Amino acid sequence: MKSSSFLSLSFASLLAVSAHANEVAPLDLASFPGELINEVVVPVPAEIFSVLDKLGEPNWEEAIVEQPKSESQDRRQIALQFGCLIADGFVAVQAQSPAEIQNIGRRVLDLSESLGLASSVRPHCLSIIEAAGDKDWNRVRRELDLTELTVRETMEELRDDELSNLVSLGGWLRGTQVVTQVVTASYSNDKAELLNQPGLVNHFQGLVSTMSQQPNSPRFLRQISTGLADMNRVIKANAPLNPDQILEVRQLSTQMLAQFYL
Amino acid sequence: MTVRRFFRPLHLCAVTVLVTSGIALAYVNEAISMALEAATPYVKEGFSVREDNWSGETEEGKPLLIRHQLFRGNEYWFWAGTSYEKQPVRVDVFDGSGKPVAIENFQRGYFAGARVLPDRTATYFVRVTVGDPKKQKKQTIDWSLVYGYR
Repeated sequence: MKSSSFLSLSFASLLAVSAHANEVAPLDLASFPGELINEVVVPVPAEIFSVLDKLGEPNWEEAIVEQPKSESQDRRQIALQFGCLIADGFVAVQAQSPAEIQNIGRRVLDLSESLGLASSVRPHCLSIIEAAGDKDWNRVRRELDLTELTVRETMEELRDDELSNLVSLGGWLRGTQVVTQVVTASYSNDKAELLNQPGLVNHFQGLVSTMSQQPNSPRFLRQISTGLADMNRVIKANAPLNPDQILEVRQLSTQMLAQFYL
Repeated sequence: MTVRRFFRPLHLCAVTVLVTSGIALAYVNEAISMALEAATPYVKEGFSVREDNWSGETEEGKPLLIRHQLFRGNEYWFWAGTSYEKQPVRVDVFDGSGKPVAIENFQRGYFAGARVLPDRTATYFVRVTVGDPKKQKKQTIDWSLVYGYR
């Protein structure tokens, strides 16, 4: 779907919302009688990439990068790398590159071995590799989503919520970097609006800030905490970011991603 | 209230879960199955359903609120389910100011759904209610929420 139909869809949605709004009472957030689930739903990169596809024809191949090799044994760093690698998988699907997806599938397995989760992840890696060979992009996306979920769930079962959150952060940060790259290449307000995610930045900043204040916190976590605080200062308004702000978010996300591989 | 996420492969092992982890866990799995059942027809319409889900147990009729980042340009469906028979299930979606934004809702048996076409990219609130809020004697009840986009 291109820009014109994208705008029509938004206009239609406004009309439809107006018609429906009368049927449900507004929500009073200040005095909500129930329970606020204390977690934010972190979108998969494919959710954002699908909008970018509707707004134009991004050069996804340009967004493919091979992340540096890392010898780190720090499980927190490996968890960040894992999330980033899954996001790289979603980029490779957008680029419809079977070879790259299969390469990522193998690296996912390597990283899951480093995390001690290979037995849970192996079936998904094999499915990713097979589906890429079949050019079944929907199945690859589903398996990437399932792989990340499997790893996070296994970590949570082992009471390692911190690692689970770092997997989510790694994927979100790499997805954000790719979005800034695409928007920078061809700026528009509609594309820039996709970075209006202050709730997610706040969520991750809070998590990493807590981790970085723990005794013997590694330097890379403190650097990422500072980077997220800086990003929070940029992504705070409801208006779409301007090109300079997009560039700033891109630089910040690139600097934070570099911390994954030190 | 407890909130858990489950793998889909576990859904296939509901009987094992029942034996090893107690009836409550099996009920929650059933709630997830109901929400996914509600989602099934929409997959054929091109919706990608996230593998993740939000689920647990709560007091009957007590509304639950989940924050969710939505992107303008995508279309979303949220589906909620419960394993409890004859319990009303409802899903509503609101923007950051509390304005309802769902353009379509349905309630059928064990599940319900709400469709959203966000008019801007922002954080939204998804409200799930299972059971009658006005009922005097309340029981613990399971719930689950899944979503899809296209």
